[in-house]
Amino acid sequence: MAMNKKTEREIRRDRLRFTKNKLSSNMILLAIAANALYFVSIYGSDVGNYYYKIFIGGSIIYNLVFMLAAFLSSEGVKNYKLSYACLSVLLGVLQVARIFGIPIRALRAKNPVAGAKCATVMSGGQFRYVTICLCVSAALLAFAGVMGVIRSSELKKHIAKLENNEREGTGDE
Amino acid sequence: MSDLKLQHLEKIYDNKVQAVYDFDLDVKHGELIVLVGPSGCGKSTTLRMVAGLEDISRGKLLIDGRDVTRMPPKDRDIAMVFQNYALYGHMTVYENMAFSLMLRKENKNEIHQKVLAAAEILDLTSQLNKKPGQLSGGQRQRVAMGRAIVRKPKVFLFDEPLSNLDAKLRSATRREILLLHKRLDATMLYVTHDQTEALTLADRIVCMSMGHVQQIGTPLELYDDPANIFVATFIGLPPMNLFEVRVENGKAYNNEICVDLTAEEKEKLAGYEGRDVIMGVRPEDIAEGGKIMVDVISNENLGQNTLVNGSAGGHKITCKFRRWCSYKTGDSVNVTFRKKHFFDKDTTAAIKG
Repeated sequence: MAMNKKTEREIRRDRLRFTKNKLSSNMILLAIAANALYFVSIYGSDVGNYYYKIFIGGSIIYNLVFMLAAFLSSEGVKNYKLSYACLSVLLGVLQVARIFGIPIRALRAKNPVAGAKCATVMSGGQFRYVTICLCVSAALLAFAGVMGVIRSSELKKHIAKLENNEREGTGDE
Repeated sequence: MSDLKLQHLEKIYDNKVQAVYDFDLDVKHGELIVLVGPSGCGKSTTLRMVAGLEDISRGKLLIDGRDVTRMPPKDRDIAMVFQNYALYGHMTVYENMAFSLMLRKENKNEIHQKVLAAAEILDLTSQLNKKPGQLSGGQRQRVAMGRAIVRKPKVFLFDEPLSNLDAKLRSATRREILLLHKRLDATMLYVTHDQTEALTLADRIVCMSMGHVQQIGTPLELYDDPANIFVATFIGLPPMNLFEVRVENGKAYNNEICVDLTAEEKEKLAGYEGRDVIMGVRPEDIAEGGKIMVDVISNENLGQNTLVNGSAGGHKITCKFRRWCSYKTGDSVNVTFRKKHFFDKDTTAAIKG
């Protein structure tokens, strides 16, 4: 079936009415997975009691809240909800900001444990690993969010156009 | 759409039970064939052999001239609609209809157009985002049909698609299938045990019993000119009344009934003079007035006509009168037989003369 580009674009847009934004949704789920890798590895640091007391408890709560918010965002984005797409972008930005939280501090902090393997709370290798996890997670969230914003706006416009056509009684798209 | 040829198909299961015997049928392009018969007569087995869901023990199956006897179902280019719809509950109507095309990895835009076109035909456009659980039985069946339509198969197979619907919806969906058939000009094979469906839908009916084809013909042929007692009693509601009578001197009679034979009937029964035959009379071919006396057992007013069940001597008889009657149990009514059918007592085959 030969279709010119304009028609193809129109059909692609029309498809949004009946299909879910699975790509964005799945990307957010991957971002949650990347965050989970960060989440489990950060507590593998040779930290002693000091870091647990100050940061780790809060970090656990933040991570749980983050994953819940990301999951809700995934469901919202799947159904072309603009607000959830924006939330996804925001979560992506927060993931980048988090690099400057625990990982940087842990990399710079002297290890309080006597005879520990590393001089600092977090080794350079572990720092690189958790930073990559956070960056990947951030990129996925931001990309999914941006795509969600684009698609939900497209769908909104398309539906408005269809309703307009219907009101005018043309019936065509 | 294409021709379908079933050449001497037989189905023998591993336990040696034979479900279908020598099924031979040529289905022309665009024809709607209904396989009808009681439960266990082999009609669904035949359909499943065509679909490729059952192996064919003997015989050949040709679609569009191509031998598909040993071909797997996916390569036969047929679509089947099941009695229980077989929809994916977690998918929307759109996704259900698009699913088979997605599996074939067709272009998504083309899939979209095909699904919308099918939804338009089936009046499902406003339901595309709903899940099957949110639809009525009739709508679900339409989705199942839509799923078949989008594939543009060579042959459509329907396995008792209306059996799960209530009477009103069944009648409406039946009309839709008929319209769909005309609109798509599709070759369809339809299985049902409901003779009303068979008579209203079919271009030709295949009547089956115990794995054997009893008669193939147009609905009118089966109704007016049944090949044997089975077809005569299976087609038509209420079923045909049967009487054992002796043919003698231009009359067919027994202890309670005696009817004069027409010239045409005499000619037909020429070889049966002095012998016993089975006489069949449809309830709607019995009219009030005449010399056969019926003792009324029950009187059922159906609105446009009345069913009177009674006995003529020792024979049970059902009459369908075309008016509102109010006979009471114990009343007597005189009736006459308009059209009579005669069957050989031994072979049960219709006497054709």
